Amino acid sequence: MATQPATAQAKVDYGYPDGPTSELDYLHAEKGLRSWLLTLDHKRIGLMYLFGILGSLIVGGAFALLVRTELWAPGKTIVSQDTYNQFFTLHGAVMVFLVIIPGIPAALGNIILPIQLGAPDVAFPRLNLSSFYLWSAGALLLVGAIPFGGLDTGWTLYTPYSLETKTPVLIAVSGVFLLGFSSIFTGLNMLVTIHKFRPQGMGWFQLPLNVWAIYATAIMQVLATPVLGITVLLLAVERFAHIGIFDPTLGGDPVLFQHFFWFYSHPAVYIMIIPAMGVISEMISTFSRKPVFGYRFVAYSSVSLALLSFLVWGHHMFVSGQSRLANMVFSALTFTVGIPSAIKVFNWVSTLYKGDIRLKTPMLYTLSFLLLFTIGGLTGLFLGILAVDVHLHDTYFVVAHFHYVMMGSTLVAFLGALHYWWPKFTGRMYSESVGRACAIGVFFGFNLTFLPQFVMGARGMPRRYWDYDPQYQIYHQLSTIGAFVLGVAILITVISLVSSFWTGKKAFRNPWGASSLEWQAPSPPPTFNFEKPPVLHELYNYDDLVEIGEDRWERQAPTEVDPASGSSTVTPGDAHQ
Amino acid sequence: MSDQLHPPHDDRGAEHGHGDDHGHGHASPFIQHHYDDAKHQFDAGKLGIWLFLAQEVLFFSALFVAYILYRYHHPEIYSYAHKYLDVKFGAINTAVLIFSSLTAAWAVRCAQLNQRRGLILCLAATIVCACTFLGIKYVEYSHKVHEHILFGRYFDPCVSSGGRELLTKGNNCAGTKSTVVWDAGSQAATYGCYTDIDQDPRKPGVQASCQVTEYAVSEAKGAEGKPAAKPTETLKAAITERCVEEPLPGEEPEPVTGHEAGHKQAGEAAPHAQKFPCWRPAFQPAVCKKGVGILVEYGDHAEREDIRIKAECKAAPKAPDPGDLLADRQQQLALGKPAIQPRHELTVHEAHELEAAGAPPEHTNMFFTIYFAMTGLHGIHVLFGIGVFTWLLIRAIKGQFTPDYFGPVDFAALYWHIVDLIWIFLFPLLYLIH
Amino acid sequence: MSAAETHDDHHDDDDHHDDDHISHVASIKVLAGTGGALLVLTIVTVLATKVDFGANINLGIAMAIATLKATLVVLFFMHLKYDRLFHSVVFVGALLAAALFVSFTLMDSNQYQQTNIWNPDAPPAAPIGPRPTSG
Repeated sequence: MATQPATAQAKVDYGYPDGPTSELDYLHAEKGLRSWLLTLDHKRIGLMYLFGILGSLIVGGAFALLVRTELWAPGKTIVSQDTYNQFFTLHGAVMVFLVIIPGIPAALGNIILPIQLGAPDVAFPRLNLSSFYLWSAGALLLVGAIPFGGLDTGWTLYTPYSLETKTPVLIAVSGVFLLGFSSIFTGLNMLVTIHKFRPQGMGWFQLPLNVWAIYATAIMQVLATPVLGITVLLLAVERFAHIGIFDPTLGGDPVLFQHFFWFYSHPAVYIMIIPAMGVISEMISTFSRKPVFGYRFVAYSSVSLALLSFLVWGHHMFVSGQSRLANMVFSALTFTVGIPSAIKVFNWVSTLYKGDIRLKTPMLYTLSFLLLFTIGGLTGLFLGILAVDVHLHDTYFVVAHFHYVMMGSTLVAFLGALHYWWPKFTGRMYSESVGRACAIGVFFGFNLTFLPQFVMGARGMPRRYWDYDPQYQIYHQLSTIGAFVLGVAILITVISLVSSFWTGKKAFRNPWGASSLEWQAPSPPPTFNFEKPPVLHELYNYDDLVEIGEDRWERQAPTEVDPASGSSTVTPGDAHQ
Repeated sequence: MSDQLHPPHDDRGAEHGHGDDHGHGHASPFIQHHYDDAKHQFDAGKLGIWLFLAQEVLFFSALFVAYILYRYHHPEIYSYAHKYLDVKFGAINTAVLIFSSLTAAWAVRCAQLNQRRGLILCLAATIVCACTFLGIKYVEYSHKVHEHILFGRYFDPCVSSGGRELLTKGNNCAGTKSTVVWDAGSQAATYGCYTDIDQDPRKPGVQASCQVTEYAVSEAKGAEGKPAAKPTETLKAAITERCVEEPLPGEEPEPVTGHEAGHKQAGEAAPHAQKFPCWRPAFQPAVCKKGVGILVEYGDHAEREDIRIKAECKAAPKAPDPGDLLADRQQQLALGKPAIQPRHELTVHEAHELEAAGAPPEHTNMFFTIYFAMTGLHGIHVLFGIGVFTWLLIRAIKGQFTPDYFGPVDFAALYWHIVDLIWIFLFPLLYLIH
Repeated sequence: MSAAETHDDHHDDDDHHDDDHISHVASIKVLAGTGGALLVLTIVTVLATKVDFGANINLGIAMAIATLKATLVVLFFMHLKYDRLFHSVVFVGALLAAALFVSFTLMDSNQYQQTNIWNPDAPPAAPIGPRPTSG
């Protein structure tokens, strides 16, 4: 569904604050529901993903608040044990499969990656739309299981309980199966786009780190997610036809399910965090007005993290009956997998050093990320130690650890990136004061929720329990208060962002003075992203970017890269004839 | 990893500006706008399909993990169960798939060389081969379904993988209700199918062949002045005439009610028919002497007006062949127990045969779980392949493929080759286990 | 639709320059040869099961022949020999990931202390490392 390009370079005032351009932006280029539902424009697809994901965030968050409310006091507070099991399962499943895994790659990646590469679209636009519909169908099935009885197996769906429970596991895992393929196709698309749609002059080591991150994520999506697909397929067939592969009474092995499940789900957590790291690299550079320190190390660490992530899945199974040998091997490998992440944290902190720090909302989220990811990553190492894990496995320590990395890191980075690119793809500025207040609210609410959980986990409070001994109550109550603070902050953020669609100030092309290609496109971009070919500049070079107004930056003297030195620039007029 | 860097694509006002069509006429209308030229689109598509094939490999990998794990830890299951599979069908399927791979690769060549007729022919041949594959799979599967050689809890074969009859859990044997192996020495059944698992097979009772057809009983049989008795009585009278009843050793003959009147002996001993429990309470078999076999008395159709009951005496089984490896063994009649050792030192071949003749090892169903999961998933992929190739065939007939634009043919052929590749491994792993 | 030109057979040499074509065109010789080789290898692999070298060696032979067949399919039918190196990297990478999956899982299950049903008289294999002492 390509629009017809403008017949001439005639400039019209479409209401951009930068001035007249030759094309209408992608939001208004075509009208009507059909033009959205059948769009091939990656930005529209990304925007639809974004709304789906934000909606799922609200649903998953609601389940979280229900969980925390129930845990306010020992014993029954609002619901019975069985219902409580459903709450934490659905919270986990919705958040993992509908929000955190697709969040940055599918929503923000879709919108931003091609523009960041100076390309008109992703490699396979129709596949992109199919990925979105697969996500939607998967979301409908997963959430649609709720009226039919929900799911109470825990998001990890362990056998043998998932084979026996009366809840409609078949419906839910059908949804998960489709979501898996959505993820695979998104990764495939991104990988090919990065290989085939870079402009001349943008070699591998001139790629923005966000692109490296998406590339590494795509490798994992393509290689790991099919194993999730076959795992839930076998689970469904086992439930339906009793084939026996996970059922010990028929000769099967329930721990085999865990191997299958975690072979995907460990790389999955890196599918969650690596895109977050990518956007953090972008934001930290822009708001420090400095190139990312150790660019090559950060780039290599993204890919090596992706590859190493395949080697450590057994650390989720230390106490499941896995053999001693395997335990030791996986524990040792788990230590190595912490190294690339640490490299990145050091490089980011070094980027901040002597930088010209601007504390806009995205930067507040970035700084939160640095602290919260460090805590999350280090506590992961504690869990990687075999002896310690025997004590901490299935306690709140694990819950706190993964919330620090999945929520405190990935979701915080997602919110930061959302604010960062919001002006680009909506053409509106969000309210900076609300944004900052909510960023601080998220930080405090998050820590109030999850720091006590480390303590009570180390003191023995098991996870997924509906009832507990009175000595843990104070921690649970702190946690619940924090959860509500966090929930309110996120809700206000989302409302503020969405309302800025209509009430926000119109955005200039480059409100932050960032250096990558997407900031040369109008805000919002036209359907094919650029109304004139972008000019490639040296990566992360802020020298000639000058603030000429509030939230308005421009390049004064272009720092073009010399073709003779191996990377060339295409300046306007030099377009491919 | 050096990919060709493409100049930024200028979309404004360009129609075919980049169409590098090698002088073969206009560029294909299927080159999408965001690609520089046909080669750009083809290269991107090629990388895309290879990534898809990578994920297909991983999709199947979990099943290979399961296969390898179970084979490593339970080789006896595999060496027993693979004999249920027909190598002939597997080999034909392999050849069919290889040939279809050839035609698919040839189709790509035809598309590249603009040989429209050749392209259509090759695509059609590929589809035909794929359908043949599925047809043969259907034959194999339906045989298994028929014989209850299935996955999980549905594994309940009537025959061992060497072809001997087995005790089954639910008497799911197709066809006959039950069959018996008669031991001439002890005059007792030693092996057979039971519908009622509660029947203790070690008791010396006779499990009869209940291959009962209608037996004609006329009113005249109830003669000797007796009025036409109730059908049951006449029936019993009629039947017991055919045999000489003798109690088996150790058994007390039960008196038979109501047929003394019509009773005619051939001059032999006790006038009573032995009643032995059969798998249906209504069946009251009588044991015929002199190795004639087993007769069934059909007793529960009293409500019928005209009883026509035909019962067939089975001929006594031949004396066991001294070469028969199972001849001098007593098989344990409990389900799932392996056979006991034979008389002489077995050759490898005989050992395999023996193993196959006995009961399935515990959890043999797992082999079929894995078999059906792997071949089933593979078959679904073949089905998708048929769909894709049919779509390609239609497009080829419409002439949409040119030397510039043949990506779909190439990519679908690559998918098809992966399907073939997976079968190349499945065939020896499932069918050719020593 | 482009003009219906038909190409002569001189296009189907192996070393035909690809500048005329978007990608390498396989020659009939190569295709037919590969197909024929695959069919022959199928026959060989079936015949090899008739001879008994021992369960493991038979498995090894079958897998070796299957790998050879797979290599022929991948190199010639799937053009990987004539294609970009990166495509081979992608494919081999997937195989490596699968191999990783298999080997780690097998390593783990190999350690479980269980009686091998095949040989009920054999004692269970010793676990790695010293047994934990109680108390």
